[in-house]
Amino acid sequence: MLKGMVLAVVTFALFFTVHVVLFRIRVPQKRFITNARIASALGLGMIMVHRATPPDLGILPSVYTAAGWAIDLLNGLIVYMFLFIGYSMFYFLVDRGFSGRIMIEIEHSPQRRLRPPEIMARYPLETILQRRLNEMISIGRIEERQGRYRNTAKGRSAAAAFGFVKRFLQLGEGG
Amino acid sequence: MRGLVAGLLTFSVYFVVQVLLFHYIKVSRRAFVLVGLWLCCLPFYTLFYAGLPDDQRIWPAEFSAPSDTVTFASGGLLYFFLFMGYAQFIYMAESSVGIRTMIELDSEPERGLTVEELVKLYGHDWMLGRRLLRMVHAGYLVEEMGYYRTTRRGCLVATVLLWFKRLLRLGPGG
Repeated sequence: MLKGMVLAVVTFALFFTVHVVLFRIRVPQKRFITNARIASALGLGMIMVHRATPPDLGILPSVYTAAGWAIDLLNGLIVYMFLFIGYSMFYFLVDRGFSGRIMIEIEHSPQRRLRPPEIMARYPLETILQRRLNEMISIGRIEERQGRYRNTAKGRSAAAAFGFVKRFLQLGEGG
Repeated sequence: MRGLVAGLLTFSVYFVVQVLLFHYIKVSRRAFVLVGLWLCCLPFYTLFYAGLPDDQRIWPAEFSAPSDTVTFASGGLLYFFLFMGYAQFIYMAESSVGIRTMIELDSEPERGLTVEELVKLYGHDWMLGRRLLRMVHAGYLVEEMGYYRTTRRGCLVATVLLWFKRLLRLGPGG
């Protein structure tokens, strides 16, 4: 089972390198979709490499390479997929995390301390909402007409599903 | 398969207990409970793994792996990854501004809402206060006479986040 895991880690390292280089050269318009496409393409490449190489990759100890090819590949794909999901969580935290932004604003204020009204002045709620609204328009969850925002069918389904989860697990209004 | 099945079964136990707990009890420190419960369910992984037969006895050769350290670690890793993914889902359901916005928009399906109306429904004081309190509880910020400043931990997180923002040229974000 070691071969699948090794290939998963190597493929993820390759994904991370391509992602960083691409974003350094030019930040894409649809950032997450671009990341997902790179990850999918490399995932396909990983499957091909897995099928084309010997179980020990020529370097792995034979004691850990006795598994069937299908379970080894399945395990490798699971590891690769979750590494990508885990990185995506971190990526969203870096890109959109409101709490992270608050800490950065405090750290970069002249006295490295701020009162709530000062934080609000630096990052108004209108700006936060406008950014989210634009993102949700781009993924087809909402639409805008004459300055008014409405859910699309996709948005209504998402609102209903998450509304149910919030109520069932008593998560509060949140947001 | 033995490790993966054991990991999946352990996560199923975790999921059922967590859902029942959150449904019947109003949990205030959710992250603490989610992690604590995950740790409490870890022994189930060992029990399930010990109780399952060797792959060779039930699975075809392509899906069989010897019951060694790597197989045991693979299942444990799957349990960890599933938890991480699920914790992110809960965090998103609870805290996402986008999701809350869609729920608010659902209250006016025909007319829709403007940004100003959404701001009124939301309340910046409430939104910011909630996050500041959470960061104080988590040890990232301290409050002194109405001012908030970062702790060493908060400073480290802010530095790492800023470094990645610059590396990926993501702008101020938030």
